Amino acid sequence: MSEQKEKTERRERPERKARAERNGRSERKERPQRKERPARSERRERAPRPVKLNVINEPKESYTGGKSSLCPGCGHDQISNVIISAAWENGIQPHRIAKMSGIGCSSKTPAYYLGQSHGFNTVHGRMPSVTTGAYAVNKDLLYIGVSGDGDSASIGIGQLIHAIRRNMDMVYIVENNGVYGLTKGQYSATADIGSKKKKGPINKTQPIDLCAMAINLGCTFVARSFSGSKKQLNAILKAAMSHKGFALIDVISPCVTFNNNDESMRSYGYVKDNEITLHMTDYIPHFNPIPEVEVPEGNYRDITLHDGSTIRLETISDTHDPSDAVAALTALHQAETQAKHVTGLLYFDNTKASLVEDLGLVDTPLIDIPDTDLRPSESMLETINEAFLA
Amino acid sequence: MESVVNDFTINIATANGTGSQSANLILLQSLFDMGVPVSGKNLFPSNISGLPTWYIIRLSDHGYQAPGNRTNIQILVNPATWVEDLAALEPGTVVVWNENSKLEMDRDDVISYPIPMTKIARGINPKLAKLITNIVYVGAVAEILGIEQSALESAVQKQFKGKSSAIELNSGALLQGREYFRENHKKSDPYVVESRPIENKQFFIEGNEAAALGLLFGGAQLLAWYPITPSSSICEGMINWIPKIRTNDDGESDCAVIQAEDELAAAGMVLGAGWAGGRGITATSGPGISLMQEFIGLGYFAEIPSVFWDVCRVGPSTGLPTRTQQSDITLLYEGSHGDTQHIVLFPGTVEECFEFGWRAFDIAERFQTPVFPMSDLDLGMNRWACSGFDYPDKPMDRGKVVRDKDVFEAFEEFGRYLDVDGDGIPYRTLPGSGMAPILYRGTGHNPQGLYSEKPHDYYQLMTRLKDKIRGARDELPAPILREEEEQELGIIYLGSMENTIQEIDDILAANGITASQCRIRALPAHSEIEKFIDRHQKTVILEINRDGQLYGILRKEFPVHLVEKMHSAAYSDGMPPRAKIYAEMIMDILQGEEK
Repeated sequence: MSEQKEKTERRERPERKARAERNGRSERKERPQRKERPARSERRERAPRPVKLNVINEPKESYTGGKSSLCPGCGHDQISNVIISAAWENGIQPHRIAKMSGIGCSSKTPAYYLGQSHGFNTVHGRMPSVTTGAYAVNKDLLYIGVSGDGDSASIGIGQLIHAIRRNMDMVYIVENNGVYGLTKGQYSATADIGSKKKKGPINKTQPIDLCAMAINLGCTFVARSFSGSKKQLNAILKAAMSHKGFALIDVISPCVTFNNNDESMRSYGYVKDNEITLHMTDYIPHFNPIPEVEVPEGNYRDITLHDGSTIRLETISDTHDPSDAVAALTALHQAETQAKHVTGLLYFDNTKASLVEDLGLVDTPLIDIPDTDLRPSESMLETINEAFLA
Repeated sequence: MESVVNDFTINIATANGTGSQSANLILLQSLFDMGVPVSGKNLFPSNISGLPTWYIIRLSDHGYQAPGNRTNIQILVNPATWVEDLAALEPGTVVVWNENSKLEMDRDDVISYPIPMTKIARGINPKLAKLITNIVYVGAVAEILGIEQSALESAVQKQFKGKSSAIELNSGALLQGREYFRENHKKSDPYVVESRPIENKQFFIEGNEAAALGLLFGGAQLLAWYPITPSSSICEGMINWIPKIRTNDDGESDCAVIQAEDELAAAGMVLGAGWAGGRGITATSGPGISLMQEFIGLGYFAEIPSVFWDVCRVGPSTGLPTRTQQSDITLLYEGSHGDTQHIVLFPGTVEECFEFGWRAFDIAERFQTPVFPMSDLDLGMNRWACSGFDYPDKPMDRGKVVRDKDVFEAFEEFGRYLDVDGDGIPYRTLPGSGMAPILYRGTGHNPQGLYSEKPHDYYQLMTRLKDKIRGARDELPAPILREEEEQELGIIYLGSMENTIQEIDDILAANGITASQCRIRALPAHSEIEKFIDRHQKTVILEINRDGQLYGILRKEFPVHLVEKMHSAAYSDGMPPRAKIYAEMIMDILQGEEK
């Protein structure tokens, strides 16, 4: 199937177009015509490198942000780069994204990606509630929240739990390094027992596993990844963007300054040596026909996402069924007892209503309703007054 | 014996959860329907069933709405408070008491009307005897005072809207209470009810329901709330009205409702809605406002329109959760850490609860800041007479929000926090618009919204914020002034004190004192208030709290030469304000005996 033909077919499917618009994607614009091939000699002189454009004709530059002020080598910066790539590759209009965060190293990062998106760096641990309020009045933006383990597992665990409970429609990334970075290296609630940071005693308090917690709460998309596993994280993040409901991605993101020593279980070296990958992960966007993607040789499982995209899980060792909560919890438990980190799409459920369905709102985002429609009429008030007086 | 017509106070002592609230509302409504100026105060406990409750009904041809200074008719049903209630009565008080209670009636200096309330109730329906007991005393009181049976019956109809078995049962119990008194007692007290011509037809409504309606007519788009007495009925009122006035034929509404996990989350949701360009509101009480402090500071600093309605109850801490106080004035005005100042509105009537409901959103969006309407339990949860609500007299004011690309491109320079017009109010664009995207933050920022710790940026920002809020003072609801020629004494007050002020004024007049009045309706204080103080020899600031919070704010903000003219009369014991207490405090101040 030629690319042109595929494009035409896509335009003819109105429901897909409507869905794409809801997700902030406009129809694919025609790419600028390539100039005629210059003579070989000329080519050598100019060496023109055409800027790569995504499906909505945007260069990757449209998705970048300011310069990071985090420590060189921080895992968080790698995650920021993946956010940029994933949003670009998914062809989302950059201004239709809202980037949300709390307080901490992780929560500073929205300044470093998606410079064309509005964002809100809120208060410590309370980003979910602010996002929920924004979503209630404008459900058509793609909300990407970035948080840390202090933000999400301690001060903000209540808000995280209740956002999951409401199946609030957002991507929620935890940049999890086991320490408080901005306050200089205190253990967080996700630090593993026996883990030792650069200074101070071994951690003896048991950690909170946010993925296990989320699965128990009925979270509809639960994944764990590693900031060093760019390809896996990229596929999972793109799938989370295509998901309708709450998507939790717990990303182990080493802190190079306070928690990257040999005794730490969240150092680059430890995670690389002790990562159990559930499956290879591929993401096939709804605007790419599946046959064009290479079919893997072994077993694989395709999961269709809300916007028509697919996440393909290629089995490496044991089969893992992401619709089986018990299997997911077992995988987490087994990894924990072996002092390992299990990564991949742990759990997925597309059967639950998301918050917007529960709210029972009109289809137009509330902020787009004209003032005159929002305020009930004068005759309505007269009727109310008369009924009270009767 | 000379009759006392329409000028006495009835105190009804029952236990909650026994249906006494319905019975008392029937009594109140029937008096109201006869045209008798009447007010009801529900003094209820912080539990669901079995604890003492008092309901105070005051009849006053003068229109006084505060609880009177003494009880004229005591109804004794609750054994738990029997002894205390009885001991507190002045000689000559009428006591209507349940003869079937095992407790004694040991006062011989009162007018005693025993009624076998439980026995009559059991005779009607043994299973529902507890509920019916209350209706029996209403029937007896109606007979004693001469309340028309037709007024009673129409009140029963209103109370039990269309539930025919309940209407029948209650009407029967009323009649039996009436008959028992007629057959067994001879009226020996002076208290009589006379109907009055009804010039303007009115209805009873609670301030919280009026607020709920006002907020919905203000175009509220998100209600985020966490249940807390005495504010829950604002939220439940909105939830009740949304299907009727904010929902289309397909059952889809344009006002989202989210019951949050706590007050912090409710505040966060309201800020999220404001940030995204919507109208968000939460209603809470003092403890909720305490929890919201961090977000309130963020709303002020990042300049997010948002509305927080505070129905005050008695603090500090959990305090007296079901009693009334004007205790959060300072908390609201200077809420959150760091230098802050917030716009606070003080509705004093149910009509203003409606009006400030819709107006609060306009003010919040105009000044891009959190706005706090403050009422209290007395205004919010008691029923007040109302002639009807006025439709908003102007379209919604969405403030300086740029939604249009052409408008945006006409700006020479755009910065989220750039003071273009010199009024301290910057322009904003909305998420999703693609225009001038910024990362909002609670950290220091420059006019472009970028992180900054530079001394100049911080100083300039804080100065602009102060000017912005101060610039709002004369744009907010102006004080209501009632002036005397003498200008010797001016009384300043706010909120629900409006319902007591006439009686205070009459007591002062009876003592030869003329006083002007100034009801403050918003902070920061309007310039008219300054002038009012300036042209009076002495002013007294009345408040329902211990410390004189409003007095403190005015002292701090007004010029020094006004400070010596200001005096504080602050008092609170959990009860709605009583005129005599404040009148005496004012007279003490005039005699130089300020306490």
